[in-house]
Amino acid sequence: MADTDAGSDATDGEATGDKAGDRDDPSDGAERGSPSAPTGGLVVPVEPTPTLRATIAYAVEAAIDDGFSTIHLVEIASWRDGDPGSDDRASAAERVLERAEAWANSDLDDSDDIDGERPAVTVATELIGADEYLFGPDDYVRVLAAYAEEHGADAVLLDPEYTPVGNTTLLQPLEFALSNTSLTVETAPVTRPTRRERLRSEATGKRFVAMFGFSLAFYLLLGDPLYWFDWVTGIATAAIVSITLSRVSIDVEPAVPRTPMRVLRGVIYVPVLLFEIVKANVEVARVILDPRLPIEPTMNRVRVIVGSGLPLMTIANSITLTPGTLTVRARDSDLYVHSLIPSARDGLFDGSLERWTRFVYYGRASARLPTPRERDDCAILQGPDATEELPIAAADGGESPADDEGDDSAVEPDDEDHEDQEAAEVTDA
Amino acid sequence: MDALGTARVALVVAFTLLGLFFTFVSMTGVLRLPDVYSRAHTASQADTLGAGFGLAAVALAIGWEAAGVKSVLLLFFIFVTNPTAAHAIARAAFEEGTVPWTEGDERR
Repeated sequence: MADTDAGSDATDGEATGDKAGDRDDPSDGAERGSPSAPTGGLVVPVEPTPTLRATIAYAVEAAIDDGFSTIHLVEIASWRDGDPGSDDRASAAERVLERAEAWANSDLDDSDDIDGERPAVTVATELIGADEYLFGPDDYVRVLAAYAEEHGADAVLLDPEYTPVGNTTLLQPLEFALSNTSLTVETAPVTRPTRRERLRSEATGKRFVAMFGFSLAFYLLLGDPLYWFDWVTGIATAAIVSITLSRVSIDVEPAVPRTPMRVLRGVIYVPVLLFEIVKANVEVARVILDPRLPIEPTMNRVRVIVGSGLPLMTIANSITLTPGTLTVRARDSDLYVHSLIPSARDGLFDGSLERWTRFVYYGRASARLPTPRERDDCAILQGPDATEELPIAAADGGESPADDEGDDSAVEPDDEDHEDQEAAEVTDA
Repeated sequence: MDALGTARVALVVAFTLLGLFFTFVSMTGVLRLPDVYSRAHTASQADTLGAGFGLAAVALAIGWEAAGVKSVLLLFFIFVTNPTAAHAIARAAFEEGTVPWTEGDERR
């Protein structure tokens, strides 16, 4: 798992890692030389990467040289407690943490050459972020920063192979997001093992097999399965498709029985969705054909509790497929949905599509959850009932969208509390 | 023609008419609704149920043959691509800073 998952893009990861190291070195050197060395902790996000061992060694060295009192080894959960299999993943993460802790302690024991005794550095481990789904680098940094603040740590050391999501190179955006915090960031200058074997394991991976089988089956369905020429061209096509796209299209390693169960539950979901579509279509048709055109369009925000990637795409697409609701923007787990009529908006806030999506991806037990309305995870952004500002650069304003986004992520925690409060007031009223 | 064949023809006609109806509604909506977001709602209607019923009629008329299976597949792809396109249009409008129409605004 670790072998296939770490770093999808060989050259890219290498380049960014080195660049980041170069950029960070001068500032770090300056800080290291200063007499008021930090006394807090050093946070090291941990994943089972090939360079984890070297990163730990470097962290221990840095802690001794810079006088950090504690090395915090943290694993950031990419799952959410209560998901099927979350216990397994949590215990796997605990094992990785235990191993990393043992390495750090043995390195500390070995580094007694200075004055004959073990340096006064303690090692702490913790699994964090398992109480919610984390989407982008901003979420990871938020969780890291909260942990660092809580434990009085003021620096972060990144493993150059650190990719918590599994298939995307997150290091560069992570470094960028971290640079907006007060934490000192450094990427461990450790060497990577050669990538050649990784390419091979990619090509034989389960994703490849799944993608190949699916593409070939589809090709033969369109062609003639009894004609040898279609087999030849089909195999060639499927091979090209799977080599180029298997890591892009399939973001989670297929597993039995999870994947077949998901497909099966997806098949159950199709008629449900079709029914919802027909129902909503009739409602919208009635509104459109009404001479008075009784529409009340508003923009709304709803925070859905589904994982990133395919589950989020499923729910956003289902919302858009249903007439009367249209997903305009997905900002992590916040969906900005435009609704045409109040009944469509109410349906959205009742969250039946969210529950169905959770059913498809996580099973029946996970489908039972409070509606977005009950969770205060929804808001109307326009009209007389509006509870929140429309996050749009005003038509006359010269604010660039990029600035807007940066601000958003920076002030997010405060903003959230505010929103929740307001939403609560409205539901009371 | 036997009863089953007659029922099938009736169903094909019914599906075609339903498809036409929803396409008509969608067209009306595009003409009547005030802004890009609300038009995107109804434009996707033509794809979902308009094309949906049309293709269902085609599949029913052709029967269990390669072409019939393909029309069901077509339906599947429309259902995947249509919301993606609607989302892309709406998102582009949103990022351009187009404020959605609300009651009392002028038609755009």
